[in-house]
Amino acid sequence: MMKTYIQRPGEIGDFSELPWWQKAGTTDLVSVGFGLVIVVLVLVSYLLGSLHLLPYDPQQIDVEMLNAPPGSAGHLLGTDFLGRDILARLIVGIQAYFVPGLLAIALSLTFGTALGVLAGYLEGTADRLVSYFNNLLDSFPRLVLILLVIAAFKPDIYYIMVVVGITGIPPVAARIAGKIRFLRDKNFIEAAHALGLPDRSIILKHLLWYNCRALLVIYATLGMGEAILMETSLSYLGFGVQEPVPSWGNMVQAGANYFMQGKFWSSTAPALAILFTILGFHLLGDGLNNILEGKRGR
Amino acid sequence: MKAAAIKPIALMLSRELLQSALLLLGVSVVVFVILYLAPGNPFSAPLEGQTAGQATLAGGPEVLSVPQAWYDLYLAWLGKMLHGDFGTSIRTGLPVLATIGRIGLNTLILTLGSMVITLLVAVPIALHAAARGDTNLNRSLTLLAYVVSALPVFWFGYIVIYVFIHQFGLFPLISGSATGQKHVWLYFLVPIVVLGIGNGSLSEVIRTLREEMSRVLAEDYIRTARAKGASVWKHAFKEGLLIPVSEIIAAKIPYILGGAVIVEQVFNWPGLGRMAWQAAQDRDFPVIMGIALAAAVFVRLGSLLQRMVFTAVNPRASKE
Repeated sequence: MMKTYIQRPGEIGDFSELPWWQKAGTTDLVSVGFGLVIVVLVLVSYLLGSLHLLPYDPQQIDVEMLNAPPGSAGHLLGTDFLGRDILARLIVGIQAYFVPGLLAIALSLTFGTALGVLAGYLEGTADRLVSYFNNLLDSFPRLVLILLVIAAFKPDIYYIMVVVGITGIPPVAARIAGKIRFLRDKNFIEAAHALGLPDRSIILKHLLWYNCRALLVIYATLGMGEAILMETSLSYLGFGVQEPVPSWGNMVQAGANYFMQGKFWSSTAPALAILFTILGFHLLGDGLNNILEGKRGR
Repeated sequence: MKAAAIKPIALMLSRELLQSALLLLGVSVVVFVILYLAPGNPFSAPLEGQTAGQATLAGGPEVLSVPQAWYDLYLAWLGKMLHGDFGTSIRTGLPVLATIGRIGLNTLILTLGSMVITLLVAVPIALHAAARGDTNLNRSLTLLAYVVSALPVFWFGYIVIYVFIHQFGLFPLISGSATGQKHVWLYFLVPIVVLGIGNGSLSEVIRTLREEMSRVLAEDYIRTARAKGASVWKHAFKEGLLIPVSEIIAAKIPYILGGAVIVEQVFNWPGLGRMAWQAAQDRDFPVIMGIALAAAVFVRLGSLLQRMVFTAVNPRASKE
């Protein structure tokens, strides 16, 4: 199984006519499928939440039904410690990370690509500067840097996501630089130069668009997983989204007070939501990486 | 170690030390800039002899009206730090450096211990997968590792507390206070294991180690070793295991430190993570600044150690 060589699209010298899904391994396809299901679920839930198409008001308190188990009296996923519907709060909780997460991704992809092109295409000083910058950002544990920013400014999710976005730059830059360094000496780039194409179109069209767009999709996916992890962690720590606005992180935290009484559910439901969502984004990213970029990457 | 191996290490060490110093300088600039831009920052108003800015404003209130350039403030601040003066905590009034030194030990135990746990779990799975290929056993183990990596560590901590401590009474709840009993060290294991498994990097560690080992096992020199009946394990160990392990661990230190912040919160572990959390709540600038710098030093030390291992194993690397 493992020894069979599978040619992957995007690889130089791949002239196979097969579409990518026929060349991909089963495990990778299953991963991507699972990830796509999760992504669609998140998108649909986000839309439902922002259009207020919810079974219950996420803020509606019901003192008759505190910490109700799943399935009781119309509450599909039960209620939390104030009797609020968990399903509605889970759906609205997506808003806590959705737009901020996209901002973080946009930041890391834009600057990561720019730095990657600089480092990969130019040599010498630019390359060294970029790798210094990468090492610099790698020297900070993300959470500690975020806590520093929180202490300096305020516990705001957008501040947090700007830090997440900036600390997400190095992996993207390193990968893009590696890819471009690998492609730079290939015949088609040489041909493009010989044809007198401007650098701008070689970089934007022939290097980035034709050869790096898959990488960017992969890093966007992985970045969303990272953003969700950070948002929920910080909301759990009490720095992100604050009660009563629901976030999966502060829902776990609020439910944890009832954990030792044996009432796991109000904490476990958001924890499982975090688990499956992050798992989905990771599997999607890694699956796409294996399928589109080859196992070892470039 | 053979004498021949020492020289490349010394060469590399001096170069890496220089690089680390440059990076730490950059780290200090980043920390300074963040704090300098902050509203009510420690450099704009002196707080009862608490802050680095105070030293530069020693002339008293009349000097306050003279706006100082940021680089003067930075240099003064850096100078104080180089003399070991990180200021005192606004909350407790204790000197920051001494506190970090004392409390940092707990975090060091937690993070180093959890790295060992991560490796104890990851290495057998990775080696098995590399040696045997895709079997059902290691496919399910890999999937399990993925699930575990996505597990929110705070919730995982509660589950462990509930099952092992509340339900079975195996460990006392507050690990730090359990003194004077036998096997006290056992209680420290719970948070360490939780962080080791739940720090979110398990699947990545397994994947990296497995890819590296399979790559090395496919090399010509391993085939030669196998052909002449020598130990494949002995030949593959350095390149296939030692180097990747040191690399991935060094790369994962920031993540493990980040996970430590949360695990310390869940388990009431008296470490730097809890201190950072508290400092962020209190806007205790000297403390959070000191912790950020200490964390950066820890990360750089890890990467230095990794380079040393790499050069020791592969002396050619120092000539690059």
